[in-house]
Amino acid sequence: MNSLSRRQFFGTSGLSLGGAALALLARPALAKPQAAVHPALPGFPHHAPKAKAVIYLHTNGGPSQLDTFDYKPKLVDRFNEELPDSVRNGQRITTMTSGQTRFPVAPSMFKFKQHGKCGTWISELLPHTAQFADDIALVKTVHTNAINHDPACTFVMTGSETPGKPSIGSWLSYGLGSVSNDLPAFVVLTPFWSSGTAAQALFSRMWASGFLPSKYSGVALRSVGDPVLYVKNPDGVAEANRRAMLDTLGELNKKTHDKYDDPETLTRIAQYEMAFRMQSSVPDLTDLSKEPAKTLEMYGPDVKKPGSFAASTLLARRMIERGVRAVQILHRGWDQHGNLPADIRSQCKDTDQPTGALLADLKQKGLLDSTLVVWGGEFGRTVYSQGTLTKTNYGRDHHPRNFCMWLAGGGIKGGQVYGETDDYSYNVTENPAHVNDINATVLHLMGIDHTKFTYKFQGLDQRLTGVEEQKVIKELLR
Amino acid sequence: MKLLPLTGLLVCLLSAGAPGAPDAPPPPKPGARAVEFNRDVRPILSEACFACHGPDPKSRKAKLRLDTPEGAYALRKDLVAIKPGKPGESEAWARITARDAGSVMPPPEHRHQLSVAQKETLRLWIEQGAKYQQHWSFEAISKPAVPKARVNPIDAFVLARLQKEELKPSAEADRETLIRRAAFALTGLPPTLKQLDEYLEDKEPGAYERMIDRYLASQHFGEEMARHWLDVARYADTHGLHLDNERLMWKYRDWVVKAFNDNLTFDKFATWQLAGDLLPEPTNDQLAATGFNRCNVTTGEGGSLELEWLYRNAVDRTSTATQAFLGLTAGCAVCHDHKFDPISQREYYSLYSFFYSSADPPLDANISTTGPFVKLPTPAQKAKLDSAALAELGARTKLRNAAIVTDYTDPTTREPIEPVTVRDVLFDDVFPPGAADRNTSRNAAEWVTDPAFGAKSGRRVLRQANTFFHQDTISFPAPPPAALAKGAFEVWAYADPKQPPRAVTVQLGNGKRVWWGAEPDATSPYASGNLGTRLGALPKPGEWTKLSATMAELGLKEGQLIASLTLQEYGGVVNWDAAALTGEANPATDPRMSFRVWWKGLNGKAPVGLFAGLVAVAEGGPATPHSAADAAQLQTEYLAYYARPATEPLKVLRERWDTARAEHAIAADSIPGTMVFKDLAVPRDSFVMIRGQYDKKGEKVMPGVPAVLPPLRVEPGKRPTRLDLAKWIVSDENPLTARVAVNRLWQQFFGTGLVKTSDDFGTQGALPSHPELLDYLASEYRANWDTKKLVRLIVTSDAFKRDARQAPADRARDLDNRLLSRGPRFRLDAEQLRDNALAVSGLLNPHMGGRGVNVYQPPNIWEPIGYGDSNTRYYLQDHGEALYRRSLYVFIKRTAPAPFLTNFDGPNREQLCAVRERTNTPLQALQLMNDVQYFEAARVLAERVLADGGKTTDDRITFLYRTALGRKPDADELRIVAAALAKQQKLFVADPEGAKKVARAGEAKTKGVAPDAEVAAWTMIANLVLNLDEAVTRN
Repeated sequence: MNSLSRRQFFGTSGLSLGGAALALLARPALAKPQAAVHPALPGFPHHAPKAKAVIYLHTNGGPSQLDTFDYKPKLVDRFNEELPDSVRNGQRITTMTSGQTRFPVAPSMFKFKQHGKCGTWISELLPHTAQFADDIALVKTVHTNAINHDPACTFVMTGSETPGKPSIGSWLSYGLGSVSNDLPAFVVLTPFWSSGTAAQALFSRMWASGFLPSKYSGVALRSVGDPVLYVKNPDGVAEANRRAMLDTLGELNKKTHDKYDDPETLTRIAQYEMAFRMQSSVPDLTDLSKEPAKTLEMYGPDVKKPGSFAASTLLARRMIERGVRAVQILHRGWDQHGNLPADIRSQCKDTDQPTGALLADLKQKGLLDSTLVVWGGEFGRTVYSQGTLTKTNYGRDHHPRNFCMWLAGGGIKGGQVYGETDDYSYNVTENPAHVNDINATVLHLMGIDHTKFTYKFQGLDQRLTGVEEQKVIKELLR
Repeated sequence: MKLLPLTGLLVCLLSAGAPGAPDAPPPPKPGARAVEFNRDVRPILSEACFACHGPDPKSRKAKLRLDTPEGAYALRKDLVAIKPGKPGESEAWARITARDAGSVMPPPEHRHQLSVAQKETLRLWIEQGAKYQQHWSFEAISKPAVPKARVNPIDAFVLARLQKEELKPSAEADRETLIRRAAFALTGLPPTLKQLDEYLEDKEPGAYERMIDRYLASQHFGEEMARHWLDVARYADTHGLHLDNERLMWKYRDWVVKAFNDNLTFDKFATWQLAGDLLPEPTNDQLAATGFNRCNVTTGEGGSLELEWLYRNAVDRTSTATQAFLGLTAGCAVCHDHKFDPISQREYYSLYSFFYSSADPPLDANISTTGPFVKLPTPAQKAKLDSAALAELGARTKLRNAAIVTDYTDPTTREPIEPVTVRDVLFDDVFPPGAADRNTSRNAAEWVTDPAFGAKSGRRVLRQANTFFHQDTISFPAPPPAALAKGAFEVWAYADPKQPPRAVTVQLGNGKRVWWGAEPDATSPYASGNLGTRLGALPKPGEWTKLSATMAELGLKEGQLIASLTLQEYGGVVNWDAAALTGEANPATDPRMSFRVWWKGLNGKAPVGLFAGLVAVAEGGPATPHSAADAAQLQTEYLAYYARPATEPLKVLRERWDTARAEHAIAADSIPGTMVFKDLAVPRDSFVMIRGQYDKKGEKVMPGVPAVLPPLRVEPGKRPTRLDLAKWIVSDENPLTARVAVNRLWQQFFGTGLVKTSDDFGTQGALPSHPELLDYLASEYRANWDTKKLVRLIVTSDAFKRDARQAPADRARDLDNRLLSRGPRFRLDAEQLRDNALAVSGLLNPHMGGRGVNVYQPPNIWEPIGYGDSNTRYYLQDHGEALYRRSLYVFIKRTAPAPFLTNFDGPNREQLCAVRERTNTPLQALQLMNDVQYFEAARVLAERVLADGGKTTDDRITFLYRTALGRKPDADELRIVAAALAKQQKLFVADPEGAKKVARAGEAKTKGVAPDAEVAAWTMIANLVLNLDEAVTRN
């Protein structure tokens, strides 16, 4: 089905909006839509989905796998030793460290412990996340093609280094739509962060729809200004003013429809009504005051600060409850070229407790089984120190060869570690997982066969997972 | 049956969707119909077979290709895939109809299975001789005969088709509808009341054509045409990647506007953009046009590999040029031979080789003037610059001549010495000779000449503007000034009243920082920082204020050198002027008064700007033997340029020289520059890059064009240039260029191209709905490449003028209007929507061209995503007239474009966009209802209605309808809107606070035409009308 006809869903989905239906639309109390606002593509999902929704926690900048999830106990004895050539093996490194005369091994200064029944090793930086070790499938061998932030961020979110492709959330919104008639299908949050480092940039293409119609772009849920752009009436315009205006708008637009018989006009009438509903559904969503104190406490003190990672994760849960298909939280500040120990500590302080709380909260609400949670950045970091190395301070450059991501919830077999890296966390030794393998797996869990999920653009059947052969990582599935 | 050992088809990503079928004329019903390869067969083969049996040898299975007759007819192992005329002897037919999963083609797991009808088409095709055709768009353009002589040949073709379908087209639309349609189509703006009346009152034949001609002659024509082309050219105001800093190439945008207004022929339009730099003695316009090849996104990300970005930039330019002009998605061949179109990887890299020798650096350095960057003066500007340069030289010479005859006694030789009070200017309209500015924008210091609020001194002020933080550090050349006795620093500051900063700071050299401003609170951008000593409140915004600090406060001791001056502002806009050091100087010890002290103090380093002949003398110092003449000459230089003026005549002449330097700088800075495309003197070798990897070189290639297209004509042995490529693109033989260009224009006016996939004329693209019409228009266009003539032909056709209304039964037979049986009706584009609101309210500022403006934008669009160090992280909104400029001139930040664009399908300009989607979403509804730029327009429109719309409600509603919709309301509408107004009036009378706010929406001054409640109620009515389906649509 092409985009044009999907766009006119009121005209083509079998629902004919005659005068009666229009009259219904024009009256607020009865203005319930008769058809899904975000319909799925015909034939979707391809198979029974394990997850109905996804929450993607993107830790932007490239969190160090060595200090979080990729435990390398043997490195302690190799402090400040030169990274063996046999390990580096001539692989490219960025020009930020290619001029260094030495590549001294920097073991993590953080302690690791085994957690859960499964005994996954997790750093002391992440005590709350660690409590869910048995729910988490940790992938230690994710690898990407890009070595710099911009292309790597674009790659991890759109499956391609070159701008212009849709983000994974847009693909999901396009294919699956959502059951919420009052909220967007795909929502993005960009919380603040605490590390002192000048954070790397985000790019709207990380949640944009690329060549898909723009209505599949992620809608930003904002902590400054309107929570959703323009959702508030202008100053001085009360709900009664707006309702009266919309009643007349519907009436006049219906006349226009009578004249031109253009299905777009009907869609527009419906969209104005949806806009009106959003004017109450969005404030209702963002009003955390009715959350039980216990829940707020679980997310930590930051939850009360608008725009925090904690508030964002709680909002994510509230959106999932309301039928939003995909929520993407992009937390910046993980690019620790220097001063890594202090900065990663504050980054984890921002995110660890809320992440644990999110998993706990989803679990207690019975939503974790149907909600896929993904955690990860755009690449990893080098075992060798960038800049001066001491026992308690070091930096790390970009490392695309292997990094860690984890998945939990909807359809994921928790309590496992997938893939292994060498003693330096520099090379994959078994079970590599390409970024697009992860994307293929996410689609699979959402009920989509990534090889069949295509969109024609520039003469090609484009897909999220790109031209190379990618695989669903079956081992991760329950 | 014996079967070929065909392996299973790879379920390939690149296999096609349904190519073009809906746009093709419906194939004749199966039976004795004639099958045509391009129309009927190619789409089927392309979809189901070519991925494995097509042009790409790497993914070809069983060495069988079905895209060429040679491949299909070849005898292979006693079998022939396709035997013309004999389905029964054709192995392909056997496999298509095979029952068992191991033999049937396409294999069962392939995404595209053949329908019964498709199989029948293939059988008929084989039976009828299995004739192949070259893909239609690669065939030469021939000028088809016009079916019936009519006024407009377009209608002849369209009607012929409609007659064939037995479909009666709609009648012509009414005049109100026509002028609004034409005005938006040709200028992107609604008709003014004056334009409307002029047209309605013109009862003579040819009124429509005259109206069209008025719009074609309007300067807004070029703006509207440019807007569409800039999507193709991917023009934006930032680099696009990583820091996404500002870039300066708006001259390119303005050139595109001018080119359309000048009706530059399309062959030149194309040639200048692709190769204007290679034309003999290129003009400013020809150079500005090459910006097309610089519009690609670039990065300056730390750690990036130059080789990689050299490659990527060339790929972007190649793919964009190929797609923009030839409509070919050559980008696929970056990694492998094209799977559907006959473009091999080698051919792709031959095209790429035209662009691989570019002179711009692979990384943009995050500056706005990434080279090659050229200044493009008008003749008048050039003359002014030359004369300013000459004047400066003259002033400099006079100063020196005066120094020669100055009677100077070194104060060290005089007795007694009294300290003197002095004031040394650090900068006024220019920095001192040899000084350098470094600032947080990474670009040149921002000087404002003759600001509206007046400079404090001279003509220019130094502007700092950033809603977070901006810093300039001015480094003085050696020997730098020193702190004076009883010394102080002074500078004048003017805080912008609209956006005053929270604080400003000053620091001299390595001294202590001092600041003026509000005490930090939690929301201060400097809350956690230490700004040093606070010396007072922020200067009152809107007034020049002198800020002073003693050397003690600045942490400097007498005699301490001041190598630099650092000025900062936090959170707004400040202008600086007349910075100076004051204090007392002892002539006997002050290097700026005593030549000997100065010479000695040089410490072996010649001062900046000293002419070469004296460098050794200066460096030697007074103690080194030197001739008296040399010493005298050095003293002259000193007195002229380095000393505090020793005499009154020198003081006057020094001031004149400073003024002349400033005028020179003003003349130079007033000339805009732009990023242009140039080649290196020696071309780089280019290679096929294996699997599209920047570091995997394959075979070396020379510049060239794909073999499927006509050959490139160059002298034998000569390396083809981009100019050769450009000439080839616009040559008569090229089958694609004219078709692609004409189709894009058609799309612009009808909403959909004759070829629906206006970005793809390859085999995966759609077939033209009216092939003869397309070829007719292409051949007409190619005859003289006259764009305005072609546009006129299109918009004066009956097809364009038809009513968009249609009887339901007819409509059902032409749902997407591909047969052009009714008038085009579609939502206005993002820019048109905003410009419409500005125009009908009377807010529109029609000023053309220049640097992008920052109009209303909600908070936190740029900020949450921008890199900390990016100069486009913090949005600084403009005020006043700039807010109401046309949308074409709005600053486009690629990584966070303005919501008024993205919400309505405006592309982010990261890559070519040949066709925009037209979505219809609730977010759009919210924006049109609530965004200040639309709501302010409603308020100002309401004021206009109240002031100019007559006295009665009916008159006013009529005025509002005519202004906003270009037509009068009917009785029903008058009644409905009047009732709505009464309701709003009642609500606002009961809510005076609300009414007051509504009546003051936006920054535009209120006109006080009526009580608040009345203005507010009418504002809601204007808001209603501007949100009507009819208002947001070209009807």
